[in-house]
Amino acid sequence: MPEPLEARNVVRLYGDERAVDGVDLQVRSGEIHAIVGLNGAGKTTLMRLLLGMVAPTSGEARIGGADARSARADVWRQVGCLIETPFSYPELTVTENLEAAALLHGVDDIPTEVARVIDEFELGHWANKRARALSLGNHQRRGRAAALVHRPSILVLDEPANALDPAGVVFIRDLMRAAAERGAAVMVSSHHLDQLARVADRITVLHRGRDIGTLDPNGVDLEQQFFDLVYRDDRERELA
Amino acid sequence: MRRALNVEFLKARRSTVVLVTTVLIVVLVPLLCLGFVAVAKAGGAGAVALKAQVMVVGEGWEAYLGLLAQIVSIAMFIGPGVVVAWAFGREFSDRTFPSLFGLPVSRGSIATAKFIVLACWGLVLTVLTLVATVLVGLVALGSPAGIDLAGWLSRLLVGGFLTSMIALTIGFVASVGRGYLPAFGALILLTMITQIAVLFGTGGWFPYAAPGLYAIAGAAGVAEVSVVQLLLVPIWTVFVGWLTVRWWNHAEVV
Repeated sequence: MPEPLEARNVVRLYGDERAVDGVDLQVRSGEIHAIVGLNGAGKTTLMRLLLGMVAPTSGEARIGGADARSARADVWRQVGCLIETPFSYPELTVTENLEAAALLHGVDDIPTEVARVIDEFELGHWANKRARALSLGNHQRRGRAAALVHRPSILVLDEPANALDPAGVVFIRDLMRAAAERGAAVMVSSHHLDQLARVADRITVLHRGRDIGTLDPNGVDLEQQFFDLVYRDDRERELA
Repeated sequence: MRRALNVEFLKARRSTVVLVTTVLIVVLVPLLCLGFVAVAKAGGAGAVALKAQVMVVGEGWEAYLGLLAQIVSIAMFIGPGVVVAWAFGREFSDRTFPSLFGLPVSRGSIATAKFIVLACWGLVLTVLTLVATVLVGLVALGSPAGIDLAGWLSRLLVGGFLTSMIALTIGFVASVGRGYLPAFGALILLTMITQIAVLFGTGGWFPYAAPGLYAIAGAAGVAEVSVVQLLLVPIWTVFVGWLTVRWWNHAEVV
């Protein structure tokens, strides 16, 4: 049985820059796998690789058991993702944006699913407003609603708590936990450890493109452990 | 494909760029023609009057429709070209391109849907412009007695629609250039090259000039454009469209 998300010794170069450098990683059904790292660690590139947004220089990036660059529609139907900017067209209303996302995600009962996410994400007040009129926080919430309108079983979220207020952060954490409890594989990145530790089942630390270790989500003083891993890796690279 | 078509149709229907371009072309093109005909008829030695006298051939409806053919050959390239540049380029300029990954609908289907919606809009735009032209002409010039109005309109319809169709090729530049600014540059460059090709008498074989020349040929004594030359327009458009769809299917997020 293939894992929903799997990187096998995956490498991605941008010129001389090794954005992702030989990463092996799996995200299983029903778990939240958090990727943490400093800015430029390779978190977004790794997610892009697993979503077929970029091709690996070497190694394999697989989703739903298929190569991420050539996976078929039935695989993508199960995937919800939020990488960088959300699905958003400023000329459309919030409802129209969600309907468009539902259409492209292959949802059959579009009115029901759109009404569900509008309710879940508390977007009712803005439902008929143009997306360009939303505040940054509501814009982000609408983007998350678009990524989840089709009840995906593979969820890839890059910095999902960005621009959210504390209530929004709690909401996102609950949402990821609920998705995992219904069997979804959730991959989430952040550079804020405290946002993830409370919900993650596994935490992988990326640094300068490499997987440099894992953190126990139930461990104490995660920040200290994180920086210990990072500084140790930096020292090893300097000595090498 | 149906799902991608629905989304692209919705985006076009709500777009200010599409609305403004449609209104500008449908309203301004006939009025501009009428104005130039009036200036030419009034005579005078001013720069505008002299230019109008060169462009306007004949009298009444013949002058009006002949001038329309010249203006349509540019307006139906620039207007739709701007809309095509926006429709493709905005996915990169607005950073929505990454959100088109991870979907059961391929990026190639989305690009194809854009082409289909924009081609249909080009046809509607041409028809609306011709309807407005006839209405403005009837009000300002009276009955079109003595001219083959149906013949004129069919030429203008084919010329106008094919010109809007060739503008679809701008979508390739907007895609590869990842934004609408490179596409606007290509639009200006192609307009200049088209003028040069016409000046050198090779416009019939240049797909960007052939539809305009076909529309003009009825009035100004310009050489007829052959069916083969006209066929180059859809062939080139489909070829560049195929390249664009292929690019969309293989492009990476940068």
